[in-house]
Amino acid sequence: MSKPQSTWKIGKGRDVPQVSKELCERILADLERARRPVLEATKCSLDNSFYNSKVGFLTPGDKVVRTELNVSSVQKMSRAIFFLEIFLRHLTSGQVNSKRELYYIAKGECKKNKHLKALDFADQTESDAIIDFVGEMLECYREELNCFANERGGQTYCQNLVVTETLLDGSKATVDLSTLGTSPFQPKNKPQNFQLKPKKGKIDFCLIVESEATAGSLVANGMTRRHNCIVFGAGGVPSNGVRSWAKAIQDQLETPIYFFGDLDAYTIQNIYRTLKAGSAASLIRNSDFSAPEVKFLGVLPEDIKKYDLSAYNVNQNDPTEARALKKAADALKNDPFFKDKRNKGLADILDWLIDNKVRCEQQAFYMVAPRDKEMCEKIIVEKIKNKIYV
Amino acid sequence: MTSKITSSSTAEYFSKNLQQVGFSSGTKAVLTTLKESVDNSLDACEDNDILPELNVIIKKVGSGTQKNMDSIYVSVTDNGPGIGADDLPRVYGEYLASSKFGRGRCSRGQQGIGISAATTWAQLTAAQGVLVTTKTSAMRSAIRAQIEVDIKKNQGSIRKKESINWDRPHGTQVEFTFDGRLQLNGEGGILTYLTGTSLVNPHMKLTYKINDEKPVVVERVSNENIKIPDAVAPHPHTMKLGEFIGHASLFGKSSVDNFLKKGFSRISDQTINDLTKHNVKKSWISGSLSSLGDADFKTLYTALQNVELMAPSTRSVLQIGEEALSHSIHRLGDIDFFSVVTRKARICDAKPVVVEVAIARVKNSGLDGDDPVQVLRFANRVPLQFDKAACVTTKAIETVNWRTYGLGQPKDSIPLGPYVIAISVVSPFIKFKNASKETIDASDELLEEIRLALIQAGQRLSRHINKENRAADLEQKIRHIEQFGPILIEGLGRILSAPAKRLDVARQGLLKLLGRDAQAAEEQLETAVAKHAAHEAKMKRKLGVTEDDSQEDAESEETPNREDRPTEKSSAKDKKSKTVKKKGLKASEDDEDQQLDLLGSPTITETLKDPSSNDGEGWSV
Repeated sequence: MSKPQSTWKIGKGRDVPQVSKELCERILADLERARRPVLEATKCSLDNSFYNSKVGFLTPGDKVVRTELNVSSVQKMSRAIFFLEIFLRHLTSGQVNSKRELYYIAKGECKKNKHLKALDFADQTESDAIIDFVGEMLECYREELNCFANERGGQTYCQNLVVTETLLDGSKATVDLSTLGTSPFQPKNKPQNFQLKPKKGKIDFCLIVESEATAGSLVANGMTRRHNCIVFGAGGVPSNGVRSWAKAIQDQLETPIYFFGDLDAYTIQNIYRTLKAGSAASLIRNSDFSAPEVKFLGVLPEDIKKYDLSAYNVNQNDPTEARALKKAADALKNDPFFKDKRNKGLADILDWLIDNKVRCEQQAFYMVAPRDKEMCEKIIVEKIKNKIYV
Repeated sequence: MTSKITSSSTAEYFSKNLQQVGFSSGTKAVLTTLKESVDNSLDACEDNDILPELNVIIKKVGSGTQKNMDSIYVSVTDNGPGIGADDLPRVYGEYLASSKFGRGRCSRGQQGIGISAATTWAQLTAAQGVLVTTKTSAMRSAIRAQIEVDIKKNQGSIRKKESINWDRPHGTQVEFTFDGRLQLNGEGGILTYLTGTSLVNPHMKLTYKINDEKPVVVERVSNENIKIPDAVAPHPHTMKLGEFIGHASLFGKSSVDNFLKKGFSRISDQTINDLTKHNVKKSWISGSLSSLGDADFKTLYTALQNVELMAPSTRSVLQIGEEALSHSIHRLGDIDFFSVVTRKARICDAKPVVVEVAIARVKNSGLDGDDPVQVLRFANRVPLQFDKAACVTTKAIETVNWRTYGLGQPKDSIPLGPYVIAISVVSPFIKFKNASKETIDASDELLEEIRLALIQAGQRLSRHINKENRAADLEQKIRHIEQFGPILIEGLGRILSAPAKRLDVARQGLLKLLGRDAQAAEEQLETAVAKHAAHEAKMKRKLGVTEDDSQEDAESEETPNREDRPTEKSSAKDKKSKTVKKKGLKASEDDEDQQLDLLGSPTITETLKDPSSNDGEGWSV
């Protein structure tokens, strides 16, 4: 294999259109000299992840992924340049689109224009992969290219919170969450554009609930009326929007944040860890998409005995469950987050789950006193008060 | 009060348990009747060194007597030796009357149950047994008679016997009319059975007519009759004590020494000397068998189990042969390419076994890349068509990692794609799971033996797939350059508002870069083709083509540049004719090879599609 003749790496924090044009200029210049352009991007995988306890999230190591223009990658590169052109156009006009919309835009364009027909995107996974590749090439967030995923999770309830959003035209919109009744506030694409402020005093705590439905039920049962708190649902594995919303609450309100979810390996490893310290797949974004101060409120193993919760054995014949346990065992060995001594409490829970092969859902709190609709809330508040969390 | 104990005849037992011998449904009844008739015909022809020529007619003739059943007519006519008049009732109307039972030969039929069961089924569902027409060469005219089973006595009875003129020197025709259901395709289908039987019987000419369709003729592809080897004397380690004592009774008052040497294989003077070290008295050896009591027999038997003996002989086991399989495989349909592996005879579970595997990619098979491959299983050259999952052959397929050879495969499953995997197990003592002989029991040794055959066939197959993949890769790369190069350059030009002159220079540069890649891919393809050709040449040498020819062919195949490929293709056509001419030579050298190969390495024949031909016809190397 011949040695690549030209490589470069794009630094962070630069103007995206400017960086994009520099990238294109380099590629074109290399081609003019019949030299093979090679792109380098940070390798986003667990083997290049480090847990930095000072910052509290996973940070990238030195490993890079090289993409060389050759006969096998020319299709991918052509598609990337095609998408880059769309992004630059949108950044200029301020147009925002979802990944799905971009798929249809690209598909329609390729079908209509016979010169682009070869680029045709058969399904959204193909266009999503190229969008991610462009982000990796430029080392920027997808959101910085005005591309957002569909909103999922983040429905927020609070009687003491005012959110001021800076809109694209520079004007501001202010939302008082106490005026929304039982409707939630849905943080939009760029939580970084939000300014958060309590109506009066300080907010006592923020509760992030794994299940959006459970978050809604807690509020419907009066939790935000009885307590000076924010309640919001993560909606499973947190999206970029949810992650940066949690960070905004943490940074701007300086209020303690607790996560309440199921006691199982998947929740701790995939949902809670991503919320708190980011993920290996988003190493370059973790600084803006993680809230290291979030505490794991439960369900904790000791809660099962204390509250006589309805826990049950994991069905090891279920491939999903078996995989989750195997992944948990792998995480204890290889995941820098769980290997760090500061997160020993969480690692101990994973260990306990692997040993006991038991799981307990967050909704088990309701059954501690089935006739008391506030019981789940009471246990949560009691745990916060008595500092029973990890 | 105890109830009265009665005895039943064998026929009575089977007539009430026909599901145990393959008559559990209408579909299976048709298939089993056909199968038993064809098996008998083929065995009879082979035993008498006659190249079999079978004529099969199957048709629906009306409604059956039972609900949801049709009345089916099955006729099988052969050119076998015919059956003497006295033997007719025993062959077709008596259970466990067999010329093959316990003889330790690799014949299709063994116990003498199947054809009598077919007669019983016809008798039970249509109130008439089998109509047999037969003529031996000694007969002036043929006999035509209806045979039925006397269920109470387990005896055959003849009805409506007559003499007729028949336009053939010898042969037998059986005609059954009974309740059944016709299924043509799929695992239990008649066509699947006929195709499978054709594959493993290359010396058979088959004509079949189903319903009102036109007759189909499957010509024989080998003129060499398959000789079923004679049985060898039993090996002492394959017997149980009771069998051992029973076997001794056949030798009357012979000496023990004589009994051991003549009644068993692998027993030498040294072995007999060794017995005395295991509590066998020296006086017994020269003494008469009749002087031994049961306890003495037990001591003798135990001593025999404890002495070291040579493994059982593999002489009694036959193989279809790679060359015959290579020709026969084209009867499966339009074949892209295939590989055939015949393992040397092996001892599995103290019994001699030969495993043969053929894998073929079939054009227009109706299967696509996501469908499981078609599996054809054979035991002593009889297709096995039911209960596939429990069979050792299926288990062996599932244990092979087919992804290595370029086939898709879900975890622990049979692979995917438009392929046929045919596995033949031949042994005088196949362990079936049931009396209807639908599945072979999975012993570890047999499983491993089949697995090794599959792996070897898979390795050969991968060379074809690899070559194809390389060619597809090159084609795709060339297409990529033409399609995506301009899009990339124009996209960069629009983003940078670059002048046309810059873009022209960049376009030239890109073509140079990608051209180098395409050239590299082309070289990879050439390497794959050369490796493939070298392998073919190696196989040809192994199969008896002279050294000079092989070298000449190998040289022409290893031509590295593209322009020379047409020459290579034409030489392939030449090779085809050379191979055909040398068939006789191959057979004799194979035999020698088999005798000399003490290590037991497998012989492998691989058959390829001629790259230059468009007719899809395979050729053997």
